[in-house]
Amino acid sequence: MPELAEQAILDFYTYPPIGGDDWRYTFQTAQVRTLEIQMLSRAALLDMANAENFEQAADLLSGSEYALPRGGKDFAEVEEILQQRRAAVRELFSDLMLDEPTVELFRTRDDFANLRLAVRRTMTEKPLGTDYSSGGNVPPELIEQIFSEEDVFSKPVFPDYVQEAVEQAVLAYYQQKDIRRIDYAIDSVQAQYNLRQARRLRSVFLLGFFRIQIDLTNIRTMLRLKFTESEQPNVFLEGGFIELERFRHGLELGYEALGPLFFVTPYHRIVDTGANYLASNKSFLRVEQQCDEHLTGFLKSTVLITAGPQPIIAFLLMKENEIRTVRLILTAKKNHLDTKLILDRIS
Amino acid sequence: MLANVNATRMELLRLRKRVALASRGHRLLSEKRDELSRQLIRIAREIQPLRKRVEAELLETCRRFMLARATMEPEATKAALEVPTKKFSLAVKFANIMNVKVPHLSKEMEGEIICYGFATTSGEMDVALLALERAFDNLIELAEKEKQARLLAVELQMTRRRVNVLEHVVIPELHETIRFIYDKLAEAERDNISRLMKITDIIRA
Repeated sequence: MPELAEQAILDFYTYPPIGGDDWRYTFQTAQVRTLEIQMLSRAALLDMANAENFEQAADLLSGSEYALPRGGKDFAEVEEILQQRRAAVRELFSDLMLDEPTVELFRTRDDFANLRLAVRRTMTEKPLGTDYSSGGNVPPELIEQIFSEEDVFSKPVFPDYVQEAVEQAVLAYYQQKDIRRIDYAIDSVQAQYNLRQARRLRSVFLLGFFRIQIDLTNIRTMLRLKFTESEQPNVFLEGGFIELERFRHGLELGYEALGPLFFVTPYHRIVDTGANYLASNKSFLRVEQQCDEHLTGFLKSTVLITAGPQPIIAFLLMKENEIRTVRLILTAKKNHLDTKLILDRIS
Repeated sequence: MLANVNATRMELLRLRKRVALASRGHRLLSEKRDELSRQLIRIAREIQPLRKRVEAELLETCRRFMLARATMEPEATKAALEVPTKKFSLAVKFANIMNVKVPHLSKEMEGEIICYGFATTSGEMDVALLALERAFDNLIELAEKEKQARLLAVELQMTRRRVNVLEHVVIPELHETIRFIYDKLAEAERDNISRLMKITDIIRA
């Protein structure tokens, strides 16, 4: 079987290739295309953002799947509905995907989130609890049970990637006794695992997606390190399209010089706009919006696929993004935040 | 007081001493009241802009935090903030303002306030936490000043009541009693003189 061709940054203009059709997914793709029509339009989100108050913004959702119960406009209810919608879309994704490893790959996001919590609690000798997310491959009860036995390493009961993440996180923590090292280690293991799995599944789309995700995370990390004046050049994730040296070099430059540094990459506009906004407004809203927009643009390029897993994965991720956007707008409206802030984040 | 008073010269002398003491106490307490008022006004003037600044900073922190929380997955928010790395300790010393023990707060902080990785968290969370860290200095200063103001206000209220009691109750009553005893003694003296004169008249007749 030939190796999956790795793209370099010069091989594409804005987005890397998304792979070809897979005719096993004809029905599933058609189903997703129908569901895509029901997603909230950009105009609907802008109307919500421009609504006068929370009630008005919530009323705009009345015709959608996020409709709030009549009379109940408590934010806990909103959060509950959003959680339900997210669980439903993930359930639908696992039903539509024919390749079980891809479903498992996306479930690992919850596993890694649970691990961050469990390892942190174990290292700081806090009660482990059972309040973990149940959307992962490892059940929350098992996490609690294994970590409370304190012999995570002797009996490899977790899947390989979890075991590796735990080992790396504990090792990283004891090197400097720094809680943040746990997160850095788990982030790194997660990124490498995602790339490994994408290659194993021979998915050009997933490989491109995860590499873009790593690049965008590194861009945000670079700006955050600069903003907080933190000297940690080794926290960048490996495996993206952009070489790490560029990010490290970016840490030494001023905000105005960052745009030109990334001029030859597809992320030039993100870095330039994000850095300028950060310098003038002391806020990451614009860079995060630009990152989301870039990733959404990549996901939307799956419109060219007639049948395949790409539109289904793209639907899951865009739906999750939509849920986050609805939460953002409703939170902002509930707390009387400035409309400009919402527009800066979502437009 | 008048009903139970012994109209004797000893009592008169004792009351005169009490009046002198009460007058001196009244003068001292009035001075204390004035100084407490001055201190309280000074602190209140400092508190007003400080409170506005702290409220603005905390509002900004909350605003950023809400934006960060809204854009992050709930699991990521929970994992990021579950175990803080910043340690905060507060030392309290006491200073003396007009015999009122007012607290002087000093903080010691160690560790980084940003206690999470970068991949699954929002940059707005960094901004929120850094703003919170900056707000701590002003927040502690505000707490110190407000506590001082509260203690001084209580002391001022107490002192004012003492001054009023001395001025409007104790000293006038003592003066009234002194006048009463003086009158009684003068009357007794006049009785005595008239009795002696009568006896003299009887002897002469």
